[in-house]
Amino acid sequence: MIESAREIISTKINPGVVPHLHIWEWHIPLYLFLGGIAGGLLLITSAMIVMKRHFGFGPKDEGEGCPCLAVRIGSVLSPALLGLGMLFLFLDLAHKLYVWAFYTTIQPTSPMSAGSWILIAFFPLAVLQAMVVNRKYVEGLGIPLVNSLIAWGDAHLVKVALLNAHIGVGLGIYTGILLSFFSARPLWSSSILGMLFLMSGISSAAALMLLLAPKDERHIYSRIDANAIWVELVIVGLFVLGGITGPANSHGAMMHLIAGDHLMAGMPYMYWFWGVFVLCGLLVPLLVEVLENAGVHLHLPPIAPVLVLTGGLVLRFLIVFAGQTWHTFM
Amino acid sequence: MSNRKNYGMIIDTRVCVGCSACVYACKSENAVPEGFCRDWVVQETSGSFPALSMENRSERCQHCDNAPCVTYCPTGASHYDEYGTVQINRSRCTGCKACMAACPYDARYVHPEGFIDKCTLCRHRLEKGLETACVSICPTRSLNLVDFNNMTPDSRALTSGKEVYRQKEHAGTEPRLFWISARNKPGA
Repeated sequence: MIESAREIISTKINPGVVPHLHIWEWHIPLYLFLGGIAGGLLLITSAMIVMKRHFGFGPKDEGEGCPCLAVRIGSVLSPALLGLGMLFLFLDLAHKLYVWAFYTTIQPTSPMSAGSWILIAFFPLAVLQAMVVNRKYVEGLGIPLVNSLIAWGDAHLVKVALLNAHIGVGLGIYTGILLSFFSARPLWSSSILGMLFLMSGISSAAALMLLLAPKDERHIYSRIDANAIWVELVIVGLFVLGGITGPANSHGAMMHLIAGDHLMAGMPYMYWFWGVFVLCGLLVPLLVEVLENAGVHLHLPPIAPVLVLTGGLVLRFLIVFAGQTWHTFM
Repeated sequence: MSNRKNYGMIIDTRVCVGCSACVYACKSENAVPEGFCRDWVVQETSGSFPALSMENRSERCQHCDNAPCVTYCPTGASHYDEYGTVQINRSRCTGCKACMAACPYDARYVHPEGFIDKCTLCRHRLEKGLETACVSICPTRSLNLVDFNNMTPDSRALTSGKEVYRQKEHAGTEPRLFWISARNKPGA
């Protein structure tokens, strides 16, 4: 029995389309990474504020009802990192002078249109919250309008933080949903991608806060990080399972990611996924943080948060690149 | 008869010889930049030796009725026009490339000037009552422009009794390019 053959020869020559899609390079993975961290930071800092203000839990209070140094820094970093991510997003546009077109319409069926408005909606309350928790520095500037905004924000801080926590979750999920709406790209076409990017954003944000926090606050962020990594591992498992048990399009795309020999920076996807992302970016830091939280002090440099951040970055690059290098929906 | 136009194509792969005249007519008519193409020719060989069959076909944007590029475009630059075709408004296109990621047919490319470009079904010619450049040049009449709202007896006869398919129909895009399969050839 001779196997049936199918050979296609095409004269299509468009760069960026053949031999495979190559439209998004480093800008978009970096934007997704920074957007995820910004959402995670906003969620964690907002949750810490609500815990402190409403329930009285949390690390030390400097008499302002506002918890700890890491929250102060995280609140500033959240909009700053999102702003940086949006710069990369802008740099990726091929027709940059027309960027205004995003903000003259709302296209209800386009996740990117919704996202462009979410990104703008993110800033006012996130910046207000950052100003309120850092008011001892901001009020020193002596700007009356800012001071009255801070006074209003301070009076409603729990409500603002609750709203911000939801916006942070929305942003984190959006960074994944942005890709998962593309049914023509089988690897991306998975609704769990939103949850994966959300949890990766939260674990990366907790890792960043762990790096920034003074010694007496670190145990809080280490626990948040360990729990986020644990949930992320479960979601990674479901994402992989959903792909390999799916129809031919999804199965092929997932195998391309987890067992593929296509190279990224000189190394096959398979090694990036299992070696760098899952082992170094999730399992090793989870083990280190669980041991630390159990009282087994390893006296290591802050290797766990650095690995988590590296893993989060590699995840975005892997998903964006592997989604493009696998063939279009057949 | 309907006043509303609904243009698409019926492409007879039985008579396509893969000469690429459609590709060069399109490049010339639409000033497609060097190194890019709005349409292209595909040669597909299938079967088991010695029972092999070959199909030549001229491909382009499918001007889908349910076009993912229009659905996902964040600015409304990609849109349906009054001829039932999918068009790009260059003065609203940001070059975000979402439409390229959304298209299951990989029919779009980034024009060197930054906007996204693709087959317009020669809209400027449709406005003048002319056929598209590719249809007008095709030496074997493989390419046929059809107004599906006002099909002529000749258009109906093209597909009557033949095996006709649409590409990636299961993607739910409702493409408006219909292909008369090469399997309709005598002896195929």
